[in-house]
Amino acid sequence: MNNNYHKILGLRELTSSTFVLEIERRDMKFEPGQHILLGRAGDIHHREYSIYSGVEDKALEVLVKEVEDGEVSKTLKHLKPGDEVEVQGPLGFFTLEDEFLQTGNRFLFIASGTGISPFHSMVRSFPNLNYKVVHGIRHASDAYEKSDYASIRYVACTSRDDQGDFNGRLTSFLQQNEVEPDTHCFLCGNFEMIRDAMNVLEEKGIPQDHLHAEVYF
Amino acid sequence: MKYHIVQLGCQMNISDGERVQKVLDQLGFEVTDREEDANLLGVIACSVRQKGIDKVYSRIQKWNKWKNKKNLITFVTGCVLPADREKFLKTFDLVFPMSELPSLPDMIYQYGVVSPAGMQTLDKGLAEMEKPVLKTRNEAAFRVSEAQLPVDKKQILHPERGIEEFWHITPKYGSGFEAYIPIQNGCNKFCTYCAVPYTRGREVSRPSGEILNELHHLVENGYKSITLLGQNVNSYGLDKKGDEISFAQLLRMIGEYGNKSQKKFWLYFTSPHPRDMSDEVIEVISQYDCLAKQIHLPIQSGDDEMLVHMNRKHTVEQYRHIVSTIRRLIPQATLFTDIIVGFTGETDAQVENTRKAIAEFKYNMAYIAQYSPRPGAASSRWVDDIPKDEKKKRYHMLTDELMKHSFEYNKRLIGKTVDVLVRGHDRKAGFLSGLTEGKIIVRFPSDDESLIGEFVKVKLHSAATFSTEGEKVNAQASIPVN
Ligand SMILES: Cc1cc2nc3c(=O)[nH]c(=O)nc-3n(C[C@H](O)[C@H](O)[C@H](O)COP(=O)(O)OP(=O)(O)OC[C@H]3O[C@@H](n4cnc5c(N)ncnc54)[C@H](O)[C@@H]3O)c2cc1C
Ligand code: SF4
Repeated sequence: MNNNYHKILGLRELTSSTFVLEIERRDMKFEPGQHILLGRAGDIHHREYSIYSGVEDKALEVLVKEVEDGEVSKTLKHLKPGDEVEVQGPLGFFTLEDEFLQTGNRFLFIASGTGISPFHSMVRSFPNLNYKVVHGIRHASDAYEKSDYASIRYVACTSRDDQGDFNGRLTSFLQQNEVEPDTHCFLCGNFEMIRDAMNVLEEKGIPQDHLHAEVYF
Repeated sequence: MKYHIVQLGCQMNISDGERVQKVLDQLGFEVTDREEDANLLGVIACSVRQKGIDKVYSRIQKWNKWKNKKNLITFVTGCVLPADREKFLKTFDLVFPMSELPSLPDMIYQYGVVSPAGMQTLDKGLAEMEKPVLKTRNEAAFRVSEAQLPVDKKQILHPERGIEEFWHITPKYGSGFEAYIPIQNGCNKFCTYCAVPYTRGREVSRPSGEILNELHHLVENGYKSITLLGQNVNSYGLDKKGDEISFAQLLRMIGEYGNKSQKKFWLYFTSPHPRDMSDEVIEVISQYDCLAKQIHLPIQSGDDEMLVHMNRKHTVEQYRHIVSTIRRLIPQATLFTDIIVGFTGETDAQVENTRKAIAEFKYNMAYIAQYSPRPGAASSRWVDDIPKDEKKKRYHMLTDELMKHSFEYNKRLIGKTVDVLVRGHDRKAGFLSGLTEGKIIVRFPSDDESLIGEFVKVKLHSAATFSTEGEKVNAQASIPVN
């Protein structure tokens, strides 16, 4: 028995291409924001996935977007309860340092698509967090499980329909809104979004050491 | 019986190869430079670049053809991606992660090859088996599929498992005065351009007691340049979560030993990651003579956006802080770095920032690589959008900047007397060459081979971009420069 093998408990479909994989947690400890390396048991291909669930949740969850012609994300979509996956980790440093949390800092979480996953974990794990999530998505239907965030703390920026809280690109939302200079900004998702958003934030005077990023692709 | 090893890849692989050689020597095999003469042919592979993997394929095709005419066994180990390892299983007789090296005698034995010396070292149960003979290729191949030697998929996916036992093997050091000590294997950093976290698995630190024993043994035996090796040497110990000393403490213990040992040696380490480069590490280096005043600190890019794209988890400002601490506490230290140029999406302005970083940090040496996607790394799935010619142009632009600073530094050494560890004959006839503590190349006229592996003093009279030249002197005193 490989002790990195974990059973699949379930799969929640959020949109036609995006789903949450519920994985047996066993005794895995992690810090919100970390990721795991995940693949089907025995498969040689593994990919990184941020942990979506909170530290107190029973299951270990990841939010996965099925990528067209993708090697791993497609295979994950076909998993059934009882199937096994191999989990390595937790890994990574995209976490909220203790000192940030203790001083009651303000956090701005900026995500594109499934890049919201680590923030979901942070919000679930730290109930008193003073945060705002700005989520760049195409359609309002991509606002994955938005009820998990306090409504005043979540902004969906939709680029392809006008059903979001803000209609337009996430970077336009940032340009049009104030960001306090002492805010710790965490950015996660595709690199182009992160780069553009970082430029906006730097123009707004956010110091480099308040910018933290995790690039998915 | 003879063996021949094809060694590919970085210093870490070379160090691993020294342990492979030791195991084969103990089995009674004899090394040969001529692959045609060998019965056992191995590759220490490197998947980091496609070229390395192509080399493995071309070798094995050739060797498999020879199998029609003679009996031989082939093996591959080293830095291998899971997908390549699966393919190698079909072409090599033995495929194993380095952590499985202690079982190599058993694997060879299962193949039916036992040398007289190997016979003695194997356990009784095996030795009592039918007297083995070298199998023909077909029989051997059959045995592989039958027994699925020796790696199953779980081992393929976890190259780090069992690495502790691998470290127990004493290597066959390639030199009598320079040696490498692995202190850690694997990496947890996941820089997007790098495949090491996939080929070598997670970070595992070697027990400090073993490291110190190996070091003491080397120093006692006259080794003068010793390098601690790891993918991330300065995160040493972190995986043990409080049950192991830190990298700074390890250096301090080595420093204390150096003070007591009365033997002169230089202790280096490579590579550290800026993220884990604490002020304490720099302080410790400044406090002990044996800790060489040469620091290799990879920057990779001088642009913050590129550093995010590379997932380096540090900024130029954080890097600047480390360099200023080095300059303050160890002003005589030389500084080396690694740079990748032409990474996905790199703009002219971004490469200009890297040039500025070279100008600011005044490196003595930078290993500048033109970006090429490394199979298995995250960035291999991204477009490689900077044309080759452009990468080359940027590479030359950065190299020109580097050359200015290394030349400036070397010119400042003219007239000084430096300690040099002589490494061998220089390309220039009638000259020997060696390195200073700061790894500056020094050549001097001499054909006295007895100096190789010894410290000498050289008074420098001229400087070139990446080297210096002088005359050996017998003076006792020298100005402590690098
Ligand atoms: C630290 C880290 C954490 C990650 N966390 C997550 C996560 O929580 N959820 C998640 O879905 N993915 C995440 N990813 C991306 C994930 O690792 C895979 O790259 C992705 O699932 C595609 O893998 P694949 O084998 O299916 O596709 P591949 O065959 O590897 O094809 C890769 C291509 O797919 C595209 N792509 C990659 N990820 C995405 C994505 N999320 N959305 C749209 N296109 C994409 C890129 O263009 C890339 O070139 C993360 C990546 C990293 C580095
Ligand atoms: S380049 Fe990055 S990922 Fe690769 S070994 Fe070094 S720190 Fe690890």
